[in-house]
Amino acid sequence: MGRMRAVYYINQFYAGLGGEERADIGLNVFNEKKGPALAIEKYWNDEMEVVKVISCGDNFVNNDEKFHSILTDISNVIKEAKADVFIAGPAFNAGRYGVACGKICSYVKKEMGIPSVTAMYYENPAVNMYEKDIYIIESPETAAGMRKVIPKLANLALKLAKREKIGASRIEGYLPTGHRYNEFHDKTGAQRVVEMLVKKLNNQKYTTEVPLRTLEQVSPAEPVKVLSESTIAMITTGGLVPKGNPDKLKQAFSVSYGKYNIEGMDSIHNGRYESIHGGYDTTLVDEDPNRLIPLDELRGLEKEGMIKKIYNHFFSTCGVGTNVENSKKIGRGIVTELLNEKVDAAILSST
Amino acid sequence: MRLTRRYYHVKDVKWRDEISFNDGILSISKKQLLDEISPLMKSIDSIDFEIAKPGESCRIIHALDAIQPMYKVSGNGYSYPGYFGKAETVGEGDTNLLKGFSIIQSAPLPWETTSASSGLLYPRDAIIDMSGEIAGISPFSQTINLVMIYKLKEGKSSAEYDNDIRLCSLKVSEILAKTTLLREPDEKELFALDELNSNLPNVVLVWQCQNQGVYSNTNLYGQNIDNLVPTLLHPNEMLDGCIVSGNYVWPAFKVPTYLHVNHPILLELYRQHGETINFKGVIFSRSHNPTNWHKERSANFCVKLAKQLEAQGLIMAWEGGGNAAVDGMLTIQAAEKNGIKATTITFEFGGIDGTEGILLVDDVPEADAVISGGSIEKQYILSKMDRVVGGDVLRLNKESGGLFPSAYDSYTFDNTTHLYCSGNQAGHSKLFAESY
Repeated sequence: MGRMRAVYYINQFYAGLGGEERADIGLNVFNEKKGPALAIEKYWNDEMEVVKVISCGDNFVNNDEKFHSILTDISNVIKEAKADVFIAGPAFNAGRYGVACGKICSYVKKEMGIPSVTAMYYENPAVNMYEKDIYIIESPETAAGMRKVIPKLANLALKLAKREKIGASRIEGYLPTGHRYNEFHDKTGAQRVVEMLVKKLNNQKYTTEVPLRTLEQVSPAEPVKVLSESTIAMITTGGLVPKGNPDKLKQAFSVSYGKYNIEGMDSIHNGRYESIHGGYDTTLVDEDPNRLIPLDELRGLEKEGMIKKIYNHFFSTCGVGTNVENSKKIGRGIVTELLNEKVDAAILSST
Repeated sequence: MRLTRRYYHVKDVKWRDEISFNDGILSISKKQLLDEISPLMKSIDSIDFEIAKPGESCRIIHALDAIQPMYKVSGNGYSYPGYFGKAETVGEGDTNLLKGFSIIQSAPLPWETTSASSGLLYPRDAIIDMSGEIAGISPFSQTINLVMIYKLKEGKSSAEYDNDIRLCSLKVSEILAKTTLLREPDEKELFALDELNSNLPNVVLVWQCQNQGVYSNTNLYGQNIDNLVPTLLHPNEMLDGCIVSGNYVWPAFKVPTYLHVNHPILLELYRQHGETINFKGVIFSRSHNPTNWHKERSANFCVKLAKQLEAQGLIMAWEGGGNAAVDGMLTIQAAEKNGIKATTITFEFGGIDGTEGILLVDDVPEADAVISGGSIEKQYILSKMDRVVGGDVLRLNKESGGLFPSAYDSYTFDNTTHLYCSGNQAGHSKLFAESY
């Protein structure tokens, strides 16, 4: 069997075409190896070679229109080269070069079905854009770390070319793609939680196994302008449903919500409604469901004229273990109905 | 406080006419056990016993608590204090343990409204497989288990069932472990915190347990912890059974008595004591505090105790799901704000491939060292089994009217909530979510 074949992308600087002043230069294809494409081969022990090097200016690729204009050419070069794998970078912490590597790798992988890999610093802005789509080997911040990163890049590129199973991010050295699967570690959770504390106490490097997330801010709705002219709806995440749970709402890990008519009712009758919520003792709610959906009190306010009208349905779901994505879907569904029905405000009771 | 645990390895269990322990063989007489525990069976019609061994094609269903059989030989009090006498402080002297052996309660607690009126407070079916795909998840696929199968009288209250089931199994634990008296153990282990090394950092374990009503309570010296203000325990008290579980609502997130007594994080801190850290004690608190105000109050109490113990490090661990996670995260936040470094372990979400939604129900920016106990949102296909202990059908989806598939057949779960101890909340297992 012949050697595996790699096509390698570098920017204008690593191609020796010039620095910032040549960042607008278009596509160039080289038969000779340049820069990192030259340094990488020795890690492949003659199992793979770089058959083509392609290069663009950083500004050129970052411009979407110009990028699209060269896709056919790139595609043809890679096809003709019979590439087993596509490699780009390392881009280190260079933002535009990072985006260029991410963009082209992502295109080659998704549109051409050829595995691709690049490398960059974890804070490179391109990481957030492409980490879910492609393998990005974690590199040091600057090109001074070239020697450290090339062996890792070489190793993963060869595995990808051979279509071998790719190991976990911490083993292969790529930045986590967000994909997580249950496996068995070589140590118990107890051993690891103590070990990590000892590292933290000794100011040694440690990596959290569950990544930190960035919190999303939710801006509050505008205050109600005139209460006496407003239609008010009631929503609960406390799991109140008609007895028997006709919509088969889940009592935890919700994926849906229920909508139940209360037209003409003065209060929510116990016995006819119940809470199926799986996260709190529902005895008091079952005793008097108005504790969750305060229809009895609100009807009084409606009669007094303090509010114009109670919306004819209440909405219900269970907020137990329900993840944010599903919560957003449920929330959007309810809000769409409220907006269509010209509801002005809502009371949401949680538990 | 110095405690010596004397371990007696149980190599096999056999049915015999008399209860005894010889050369690693535990002989059990069903009749003799029943004779001794029948006065405790007030709400229980009958009890049958079965043995389930590692590697067997065997599934245990309707599992409630699991108990480490042990017997106090010397020192104050008795094992599992507070149930058959005074709540005397334990943790000193000698205690005999049957190692590699557990007692598992199994009962289909009634679903009808009189006994389980609440959406939360009913025991969801808990499954333990002795072999197959999920065997590595529960610690009890590696122990020989005496399963106590309870047939309940009708019309009794949840509190009565809960109490009587517990008392019977604790009594059986005592009877069986007592067989080791006057015998030489296979192994001995001394537990003491008295030798501190001033060059090492001080570390505490905050152990936070669920308490939301009958069927989801945790007991400390025989009393549930509903009104518990975070308190200080010597780890030896836990080793001698001061905490007994009465929590059966979510099998994945629960921590059975067996793991309170053999708490994996506590034991690991003991192993590291004098080597990399000084273990200063356990701060025991209640999770599922009702409001944010109560949660912050509890978190601050925990951290105050840690400061009084001059802790530089804290491990936060909890039983339960999202509600408990909020309590835990607030405690981590309070600790870090007070200059105490914290790590924690929790199960995670993330859907089939880890990219759906968020991984944790709650977190704080200070929680930057989180160990994964595995994702509960993964599909598991249970294998077919030759034998089922505890019944014939699984009891699932109460809220949708109930689903009762054969417990012998293969069954696919979309998450691990029914798999006993799959949340890995005490760090017993190697299960974790690997990052790709």
